Amino acid sequence: MRDVIVSIEHTAGKPRRVSLEALSQAKEIAAALGGSVHAVVLGKGAREAAETLKGYPADKIHLSEDADIDAFLLDPQVDYLESVAKAAGPSLVLVPNTMVGRDIGSRLAARLDAGLTSDIVGLSVDGGKVACVSPKLGGITVTTCAFRGDYGVAAIRPNAFKAVPGAGAGEIVELAKPAGKTYAIRIDDEVVEAAGELGVEEASTVVSGGRGVGGPEPFKTILKDLADALGGAVGASRAAVDAGWISHGHQVGQTGKTIGPNLYIAVGISGAIQHKVGMRTAGTIVAINKDGTVPIGEFADLLVVGDLFEIVPQLTASVKELAAAHT
Amino acid sequence: MRTGVETVLNPFDEYAIEAALQVKEKAGADATVTIVTMAPDSGKEVVRKALAMGADDALLLSDAGCAGSDVWGTAYALAAAIKKYGFDLVVTGTQSTDAGTGELPGALAEYLGVPGLTYARKLELDGTTVRVERETDTGYQKISAPLPALVSVTKSANEPRYPSLKGIMGAKKKTIAALTLAELALDRPIGGDGAKTELIELADPPARGKARIVEAADGADGARIIVEFLKEKKLI
Repeated sequence: MRDVIVSIEHTAGKPRRVSLEALSQAKEIAAALGGSVHAVVLGKGAREAAETLKGYPADKIHLSEDADIDAFLLDPQVDYLESVAKAAGPSLVLVPNTMVGRDIGSRLAARLDAGLTSDIVGLSVDGGKVACVSPKLGGITVTTCAFRGDYGVAAIRPNAFKAVPGAGAGEIVELAKPAGKTYAIRIDDEVVEAAGELGVEEASTVVSGGRGVGGPEPFKTILKDLADALGGAVGASRAAVDAGWISHGHQVGQTGKTIGPNLYIAVGISGAIQHKVGMRTAGTIVAINKDGTVPIGEFADLLVVGDLFEIVPQLTASVKELAAAHT
Repeated sequence: MRTGVETVLNPFDEYAIEAALQVKEKAGADATVTIVTMAPDSGKEVVRKALAMGADDALLLSDAGCAGSDVWGTAYALAAAIKKYGFDLVVTGTQSTDAGTGELPGALAEYLGVPGLTYARKLELDGTTVRVERETDTGYQKISAPLPALVSVTKSANEPRYPSLKGIMGAKKKTIAALTLAELALDRPIGGDGAKTELIELADPPARGKARIVEAADGADGARIIVEFLKEKKLI
């Protein structure tokens, strides 16, 4: 492996932070491998996104606004990424460890006959080999794996690496449409239920609610308000999802998502093992519960015992006051 | 119609089996559901449960050469087995409970050379078109593709049925065909030898001690305690 290729995710031309984190980390790895950094940004808004990417360390920014990219599911993106990877030669590809990132990564790995590692929180180079660190089995163990072969695809955990601005050569490369491709999975409609929200995998702060929240309403009001004030996302325990209070996409834990935000606030969540395995690698864990003996007290950093319906709104008000004082 | 399900029967696979059975029930009498799994011989017990739910038969890829397979090897071998058998629709779960990575469906679709409609919370067959509502972080997408295709379903897709007593009895008579790697004649090794990654180190995670536990006198006190703590951690 020599070059590092970063698959950039963006929302309407604004690169997502995890992609900037990946780009910053790519520079370190490419330097150790003696190769260059390629950013690949695709779909409507790619050109605008490329302007932001110029402020980060990419040697080349490959882009295409081919209409097929937004009309069909993932396959066109995989084709473009494959073409960049094959032109670059043996390389490491970084994708975000999100639903979409892993979906693209797994398809690309099959195309490149590459190894695939996910939820990566550390990357290093030793003797020309790239090694990836990731928590496994719900954070019970931490593995270091090295790629074999010419290519590797690594899905990197959001918030695990720092986004460090600093321009590279930033040469813009317009990608040619891969020849002879037709696409089968048509996107007939896109329904946005939670506009502008980050997924729980990507957010640096997650405010989650459990059984103690008592119903669907607080997820839309007090928890949402606190998450918004902290610039985070709303999560949930399995109990809350199974009760139908919030959709499955928000679920953290064994049958939901495994996440590692900088700050995790568990509201009315007891912290049973199936929840713990989804969030125990968070940077800081704060729990609010009416019961001081809940299991989450065994692994959280702070457990505040009290009425969540009183504490959460007050906390939101305090966070907003602090934010206002800083501006 | 033939439908494959990945590896052992974890909770996610039950959603896949249920989805496949519902498709079969709507598609009519000549549709069949086949369970496909890569597992040691002991995997038969798990397959029996799937058959008891209502699947018609099963294909068990059981070979010492499979041991130590990574996502790549698993997808490669399963794709070869499914292609050999023939199919219209492959349904998989979204993730496994042990590794929980959710990468198999995409790789499997690639090796099968068919459209991969992932993260389906709803699956419908409309003639030879498969229609899916695909979960996203902000909502969902309506997507569609012609058969043959692969669909991975999430736990929102359905409520898996329990095997009936009749189903459990009937499952004992159903065929579980054994398949070896030699029969698949793969052009490259899978298992530990063929894995595209190698494990260098296993380590314990940084220890997490018990929480500082503080009783809040009231809402304002609770908020104050948390704000002080977050300031101390430089999180706000």
